[in-house]
Amino acid sequence: MKISTKGRYGLEALLDLAIHSSEGHINIKSIAERCGKSEAYILQIFLTLRKAGLVESIRGAQGGYRLAKEPAEITVGDILNVLEGPLAPVACIIPDTKQPCDRYENCATRAVWERIMDCLNNVVNAITIADLLKNYREANYRQADLEYYL
Amino acid sequence: MVKVSTKGRYGLRAMVDLAVYSNGDHVALYSIAARQGISINYLEQVFSILKKAGLVRSVKGAGGGYVLSGSPATLKVGTILRVLEGKLSVIDEKAEGAEEDKTGVQNCIKVNVWDKMNKSLNELVDTITLEELAENYKKMRGLDTIMYYI
Repeated sequence: MKISTKGRYGLEALLDLAIHSSEGHINIKSIAERCGKSEAYILQIFLTLRKAGLVESIRGAQGGYRLAKEPAEITVGDILNVLEGPLAPVACIIPDTKQPCDRYENCATRAVWERIMDCLNNVVNAITIADLLKNYREANYRQADLEYYL
Repeated sequence: MVKVSTKGRYGLRAMVDLAVYSNGDHVALYSIAARQGISINYLEQVFSILKKAGLVRSVKGAGGGYVLSGSPATLKVGTILRVLEGKLSVIDEKAEGAEEDKTGVQNCIKVNVWDKMNKSLNELVDTITLEELAENYKKMRGLDTIMYYI
């Protein structure tokens, strides 16, 4: 059971955007370079994120992307939900798009898959971009301290 | 998407079926196959994996079949899923340990998102026993009351 590259790279790119947000709008090229991914792929991800209202863009020479909300108001769950869809280990439990199965009502294992989905959702809905920023900066300060003392 | 494979889905369902219909005795694969709507060839493959891992024992001969090696009360869903699916992780193994830079974006996300998801996921499936699923399945199918009246 794996998160796809879209979800992984998308989360990386969005965190990169948040890290550099003090510099104004950030262009796709610089995000792609820092993340080591192709510009086309990062652009595709950002178009999806923009449609979902998580980032916004402006055109022009100084153009680029920025977060559409405060980092504390965007959860990892929001991002993964947009890029990956529901974190469901089986298709039949996805809300509203239940794939028909004769055994749905009398399934011996459906409860397990539902509990896994709830468990994963609880984890990702509790982590915000602000939390990731904080941890990222702490790790970097520690590293900077270490280098200072050396 | 974080999908569980067919092997994991069918295998867990077959194990619940075995726990429900065994009563300490062996159960023929064809009867599990018929009740669960899974092909006998597929079940043979799944049970050879479960047998190799020591979760079930096979009984040869005319009245042959499979029996659980231990009590369903002590057999965790996590154990069964790890035998059938491998290590339970939301992230591809190869991508997981890649980055050496402990201050990078990838590492920040690994520590604060993927590791937390994996920890919660594994802890959850290790709290669910096969007995719990078997008891719920019996209630669902009305099998507990039939036993009572007999």
